[in-house]
Amino acid sequence: MSKVLLEAKDLKKSFSTAAGSLDVLRSINLTVNEGESVSIRGLSGSGKTTLLQLLGGLEAPDAGEVLIDLKSQGLVSPHLHLGHGVGFVFQNFQLMPELNTLENVMLAAKILGTPDAEFKARTLIESVGLGSRLNHYPSQLSGGECQRVAIARALINDPTIVLADEPTGNLDEATGQQIINLLLGIVAKKQMALILVTHSREFAERTQRQLLLTKGVLSPG
Amino acid sequence: MLWFLQIALRQLFQPGKRFPAFAIVSILGVALGVAALLVVQTVMNGFGEEHRLRIRESFGDCVVLTRTTITNPAELVKKLRKDDEVLNAAAFTEGPALSRHGQFSGVAFVRGIDLTVKEQPARPYIAAGSFDDLDDGRVILGYGLAKTLRVNIGDKIELWSPAMAELAEKGQAPLPAELEVCGIVRTGFTEVDDRAAIIPIRRFRELWAMGSQAHGITLRFKNPNDAPAIAARLNVGSPEMHFVPWQEIKKNFLEAIRFEKTMLFFLMFIITLVASFSIGSTLFSAVIRRTREVGVLVSMGARRWQIVALFGIQGLMIGLLGTLLGFALTGSILAARENILTIINKIFGDGDMVANVYQFSKVPLHYDSSDFIVAAGFTLLVTTLAGLVPAIWAASRKPSEAMRHV
Ligand SMILES: Nc1ncnc2c1ncn2[C@@H]1O[C@H](COP(=O)(O)OP(=O)(O)OP(=O)(O)O)[C@@H](O)[C@H]1O
Ligand SMILES: [Mg+2]
Repeated sequence: MSKVLLEAKDLKKSFSTAAGSLDVLRSINLTVNEGESVSIRGLSGSGKTTLLQLLGGLEAPDAGEVLIDLKSQGLVSPHLHLGHGVGFVFQNFQLMPELNTLENVMLAAKILGTPDAEFKARTLIESVGLGSRLNHYPSQLSGGECQRVAIARALINDPTIVLADEPTGNLDEATGQQIINLLLGIVAKKQMALILVTHSREFAERTQRQLLLTKGVLSPG
Repeated sequence: MLWFLQIALRQLFQPGKRFPAFAIVSILGVALGVAALLVVQTVMNGFGEEHRLRIRESFGDCVVLTRTTITNPAELVKKLRKDDEVLNAAAFTEGPALSRHGQFSGVAFVRGIDLTVKEQPARPYIAAGSFDDLDDGRVILGYGLAKTLRVNIGDKIELWSPAMAELAEKGQAPLPAELEVCGIVRTGFTEVDDRAAIIPIRRFRELWAMGSQAHGITLRFKNPNDAPAIAARLNVGSPEMHFVPWQEIKKNFLEAIRFEKTMLFFLMFIITLVASFSIGSTLFSAVIRRTREVGVLVSMGARRWQIVALFGIQGLMIGLLGTLLGFALTGSILAARENILTIINKIFGDGDMVANVYQFSKVPLHYDSSDFIVAAGFTLLVTTLAGLVPAIWAASRKPSEAMRHV
């Protein structure tokens, strides 16, 4: 029986708009074990990005709580520890345009003061297959290459869980396939947990557990 | 290197771009503001210094006056000369007289000076003739008075003193003193130039029938800037005497110069403010453009103060480089000031204003380090604030919303 890594209890989130309150997440309950990969599908606007932001601590829920086991020191609320334990991968890469590949990956380590940043970054960039693109800036890389840099960046602080929000959304099918292979491969090798938000049933089925977000609630899908 | 410092530098001077337009334009804006401020201040200082020197050289570093005449000036002069801070002391006499040359006449303010003392007030401003030719039969006139009397070097004028009027009252027929003009002085102070007539003190005493008395003593100090303190010290124990330092002699004039300088500082500082506002707005739009990046940085664990520093540093850098460039620009503009003035005179055809109005040979300069410190301080403060305001705004955004920014 593996250990629970992330636990979300009865999360609620609504946005107030001109047309009134929009209840995006009504009651989210989710547990992810160490090293487990989970996929979440749902219609556009169903609240997948919002959910990942709550899980990663970028946004506070209106009600409920998110608990992440950080470095096995007990369950701690994540938004006090942004960047620690959680690695983000975004649909549109979100690299710093002024930094080259190596610097972009090192940045995440530098922000948290992780030692051996350069060595770790070089190793990770090598393992995502960009060893020959160390000094390229994002504008000089293809979309697929940018996403590989973003994956390396998400992994450099040895997170216990990776939150990936449509990492293939901006890529063609073949490149998307490569990225999913890479992501699942590394996560499995490093025994990290993964929550993968995707529109693709095919990609979703490659994770250990598939969930569907509909009407603000998660259900097996 | 600190990561936010690295990104700040990269955002200012983007790699791969040969011409970092935003940075260069902002830095130039600040530099021009700083240079405008410092050029004006330095030239104002130059004029101020020149005027101060002119005051001292026209009136002396300090004038000693008493309520009545000084009955034993020789003794007092000797005593004052013994003081460590006094370079020289000389008795003088002064009084109005009627001067005449043919059908032209004017009121002369006659001054009797001690010929044994070389450094006399107004001496450096001799415009024609020579101070050294002065003797009992000669006179040095102010430029304006010489013009009124229509005289030139070598012409003779008559001088009627009040003592002569007294003689006439007693029924005697006095004869005027006949003096040859041997020099003309032009100090730039109309109260001197329009009235001055300088003769030897011996002759003055004779014409005014005043024995060995004097009206006052002029002093030269080793350190003229300390004149008020020295004057106050010398005054101790002699309440019947009045030591007037040069700063007091032309107090209103000096205050006007200082006031002008302060006013110009504020006017010129507005230029720097305008430059800083344009930095503020460019930096603001740069921050907004980078809203998503701010969200990403926060999602990676960046602290608020680091985000503030990231953008604040850019304002500070622009201010710092702009200030340094402004210093260099100030130096080059001022070094080329004569050429610039020649061009201006050519364009406007005004002739040499500096020589005509101020009787200075060049545009005077006086670098004052405190001007540079104040200019740098104010500029850095304003440019840093201009960067900090958008920086704080950026850092206060929620990362989730920042990342949704398009
Ligand atoms: N800050 C906000 N203010 C108001 N409404 C918001 C805000 N953020 C998100 N929403 C709304 O919440 C809903 C869910 O948004 P979210 O981005 O989580 O959807 P999503 O499932 O990720 O969609 P997609 O698949 O298109 O990325 C949307 O209807 C959106 O309009
Ligand atoms: Mg989304």
